[in-house]
Amino acid sequence: MLTLLIRRVVRLVVVLVGVSLVTFAILQVSGDPVALMMPEAPEADRAVLRQNMGFNDPLAVQFVRFVGNIARGDFGQSFFHRKPALPLVLERMPTTMLLTALAMGLSLGLALPVGILSAVRRNSLFDHAATFVVFLGTSMPVFWTGIMLILLFAVQLRVLPVSGWESWAALILPAFTLATFSTPLLLRIVRSSMLEVINLDYVRTARAKGVSEWFVICRHALINAALPLVTVAGLQFGLLLGGAIVTETVFAVPGLGRLVVGAIRQLDFPIVQAGVFVLALIVVLVNFAVDMLYVYLNPQIRVR
Amino acid sequence: MAIGTLAPPLGVPAGAERTTERSRTWRKFARNPAAIAGALILFMVVGAAVFAPWIAPHEPARQSLIRRFTPPVWAEAGKTAHILGTDQVGRDILSRIIHGARISLMVGIAAVAVSMTVGVTLGLLSGFLQGRVDTVIMTVVDVTLSFPPLLLALAFVAALGPSVTTIIVVLGLTGWERYTRVVRAEVLALREKDFMEAARAMGASSARMVLRHVLPNTFSSIIVMSTLQVAQAILQEAALSFLGVGTGSAYPTWGQMISLGRDFVSVAWWLPTFPGLAILLTVLAINLVGDRLRDALDPRVG
Amino acid sequence: MKRWALLAIVLTLAALAALPGVAQAQAKDTLTVALVSHAPTLDPHMHFERVGILVNINMFDSLLHRNPKLEFEPSLATSWKALTDTQWEFKIRKGVKFHNGETLTPEDVKYSFDRVIDQTKKSPQYGNIRAIKEVRVVNAETVHIITDKPFPLLLERLVFFPIVPKKHVETVGDQAFGATSPVGTGPWKFVEWKRDQLIRLEAFDQHWRGKPAFKTLIFRAVPEVATMVAEIKTGGVDLIREVSPDIIPELKTHPLAYVSSTPILRVHQVELDMRVPPFDKKAVRQAANYAIDKQTIIQKLMAGLGRQVATVVQPLAFGFDADIKPYPFDQKKAKELLAQAGFPNGVDVTLHSSSVANRPQFEALCEMLTEVGIRATPKMWDPGPAWNKFSQSEGKGTHGIYGTWGNYSVFDADAVLHPLYHSEPGGWYGKWYTRVEGLDKLIDEARSTVDQPRRKRTYTQIQQMIREEAPSVFLWTQYDTLAISKKVQYAARPDEWLWLFDAKPAAR
Repeated sequence: MLTLLIRRVVRLVVVLVGVSLVTFAILQVSGDPVALMMPEAPEADRAVLRQNMGFNDPLAVQFVRFVGNIARGDFGQSFFHRKPALPLVLERMPTTMLLTALAMGLSLGLALPVGILSAVRRNSLFDHAATFVVFLGTSMPVFWTGIMLILLFAVQLRVLPVSGWESWAALILPAFTLATFSTPLLLRIVRSSMLEVINLDYVRTARAKGVSEWFVICRHALINAALPLVTVAGLQFGLLLGGAIVTETVFAVPGLGRLVVGAIRQLDFPIVQAGVFVLALIVVLVNFAVDMLYVYLNPQIRVR
Repeated sequence: MAIGTLAPPLGVPAGAERTTERSRTWRKFARNPAAIAGALILFMVVGAAVFAPWIAPHEPARQSLIRRFTPPVWAEAGKTAHILGTDQVGRDILSRIIHGARISLMVGIAAVAVSMTVGVTLGLLSGFLQGRVDTVIMTVVDVTLSFPPLLLALAFVAALGPSVTTIIVVLGLTGWERYTRVVRAEVLALREKDFMEAARAMGASSARMVLRHVLPNTFSSIIVMSTLQVAQAILQEAALSFLGVGTGSAYPTWGQMISLGRDFVSVAWWLPTFPGLAILLTVLAINLVGDRLRDALDPRVG
Repeated sequence: MKRWALLAIVLTLAALAALPGVAQAQAKDTLTVALVSHAPTLDPHMHFERVGILVNINMFDSLLHRNPKLEFEPSLATSWKALTDTQWEFKIRKGVKFHNGETLTPEDVKYSFDRVIDQTKKSPQYGNIRAIKEVRVVNAETVHIITDKPFPLLLERLVFFPIVPKKHVETVGDQAFGATSPVGTGPWKFVEWKRDQLIRLEAFDQHWRGKPAFKTLIFRAVPEVATMVAEIKTGGVDLIREVSPDIIPELKTHPLAYVSSTPILRVHQVELDMRVPPFDKKAVRQAANYAIDKQTIIQKLMAGLGRQVATVVQPLAFGFDADIKPYPFDQKKAKELLAQAGFPNGVDVTLHSSSVANRPQFEALCEMLTEVGIRATPKMWDPGPAWNKFSQSEGKGTHGIYGTWGNYSVFDADAVLHPLYHSEPGGWYGKWYTRVEGLDKLIDEARSTVDQPRRKRTYTQIQQMIREEAPSVFLWTQYDTLAISKKVQYAARPDEWLWLFDAKPAAR
């Protein structure tokens, strides 16, 4: 067990270094941030700034400096905000996390009951309708779903605020929009896991013994679905983060995705690097946690 | 994921087995009405893409400032010349959707082709060469998976400037890892089989083993994955357009049409809605077909 | 089971930490404005974004102010006069209080200028006031501004040059000043800034003009146009700007809102690359100008909210000569000129644009050019680093670039002619694409004297020259439209400012 843990941690570190390398590389080919910072300044001034910020050093030197700084938690100062990059990024992280977590929760909350019902009433109208409706969610670009939901619930029906992040009500539409993205896969997993157990002997026995049918069904469905759900959870999380970027823009949510998108446009290197790094770190950590959870839930692997 | 049946042991003519398999697959597939509907839709989309210049009622780039914002034919001010209405410079929406099929599909399929090539190659290398190469490749897979794909795409396109090629390459580089995993798993599984040793003893080259065993076994998975990935590529391209990094040309993809039209949704709802529907139907169809295909190719599911 | 409970608790706590604030009711004395984004800092000297300026003007005052008719008015300076060509005297208003209680002195004025002139501070606004050599405090109510050569744009630039409190900035430091405690003399004072979400300001009771009509002023950052429109329709915000002409009809008749439009400085043009064929030939450039049916585009695509122009000099700017007429729409003449220039069968060009809001106009004009034989392929770019590199730092925008220019609200011909056409390095496009003989010299001449009548004559000369030489395809100036809640009374200004001190709750 310990060796497993150590190996995973090593892999985590390696992945993070890889992530930094890729971010660093992309930004190097992106262009000259100094030109964006001082568009009207004469070239001589810009050359001085470039020298001062270390852009003329060889790439390897710059990268090593970069990694060394990260280890100390220093991502440099944002060019545009003129504040340290990492705190700025961390400040926005909880918002994005909350949005993603809410979306994930909503997804599960929808997928479980609907999945179970679909399996129990297999091939019924409900089953087909549910599958169809839920598939609709993944078949539309997220931003379009968001705009449509705003038009329906905020403008037409006036039951929810259009955008923002100031009240509990404002959380609903963005979280729901994101959730439409991940629900179908979860639904399918729940449904097929249910189908696998629904006619098994021990279920029949329990029913015969008089235990409430629903109780039996739900419990066994959950247990059987747990493993596959956990397996995809990590992957879904990464996808949701991507969808969160778009959702944050549509709903004016002050999250990390929006910050990084703006920073990419402005070539604000420190923010892009810090932001991408933090996001990747979260994905890796979540996957790590999911891995461990999987091992815990699946005794077969543990034995090895 | 359904891996499909393992290749038959040496000695049994592989050809005969495969034919029976294929017809069984087809029959399973054909039984499901949703899949048939999906296939029909896809047929239409591909048809539109291929025959666009002949089917489209108008030139997709032809503007008419007098005719801008014409609503669809069934609305009050609608005209029969423009069944689905016109956009903000008077271009016919239906024609743009038909041509958009061409570009959206092209971008989607090209991106998947890139993905598949990269992914399968790396998977083969990883599985056959093992050792250091394997570790490196799998680490790269992990790194790629840790990036929110949209961010990666955004960074690239923002850096390199808009063009269809950039978009295709960028979309292709976010999704190759699943091919690598599947192919690699298959190669590793095969290595364990005795007949591989025997084959090698008889002098069969790696290339031959790849062609005869690895690829056929992974074929069905790859087909299913790439189908679903086309859908994903179309959606991701729409998201990129939304964030402002589209292909920049006057011949838009569906995603770009939605993106460009979304500001007008309150005065001209048909601008983003019809391309949205086009994406919806196509992606839905792909998902339905892909789903059934997967079930059909999986011997376990009845 | 316990583990799940613990997890749930942790998640809830995290959620509470990420979500500050309870639902804010839309109070009657609150004015909410939606902007597309926030500037990276509230320090008025350390950014050059329009959205930042709009917030700053409500928090800080400058020496001069402009009324809605664009006339200069005293603000922190009660009077001014030119002592010589290069020396100006300003009398500073007495008894003005900063938000933190300190009184304004000429020291603060000098300090404000010094921190931008000081190049180590790296202010992005340095270029605007480069001509100012020194600011001298003469006595307790007088300040002299000395320029290194005659600077005719001085008064214009002083309309947006906020004065900041020297002692306070030196105490808290530049960083904190721009992020957590910006202090000025304006009608509203700072309360809080949730980045990318909202900036909350509160009425300053001791503002020298008097108290503003609204107690709270909020600037929200809403990046998506559709969302902004939805917000104004549901009463979520009270004011949005840059409303597209196509959306105007529906907002005009909306029960909760109305629109206010006014012409502004922003001028549209296609800057032609005169280094390479075909636009190295005057005849072709003129042909391009004759090919555009500007009136139709203005009527159909801009809801009539635009005005054709003869050159890039705007009607609202000093130096504009109304006697010089715009190119008429004449396809026949365009084709003739094209044939004369040696292109009887037409020619292929590519035009670039990063102006997303004006995409329909861009594509329409490319179509019109194609109709006379200049087969123009439109290429849209995302405004970002790749675009800047392409058009600006590498000058590859061949054969032409569609762009708009707002002069940074300076109502003077120099503020458009110099950036667009002058070949000086560090300028905007001119150095790459424009090659008109004698133009540089005339532009320099006009900006090196403060004799306004003489300048006007030179600008007439310049406009005649560029109309003839056609370094650009000249198009139009646009209007800006605001959509405002019916609960608020406010009118759009030609300088695009949101001077919300003038906003009042609507009479019931």
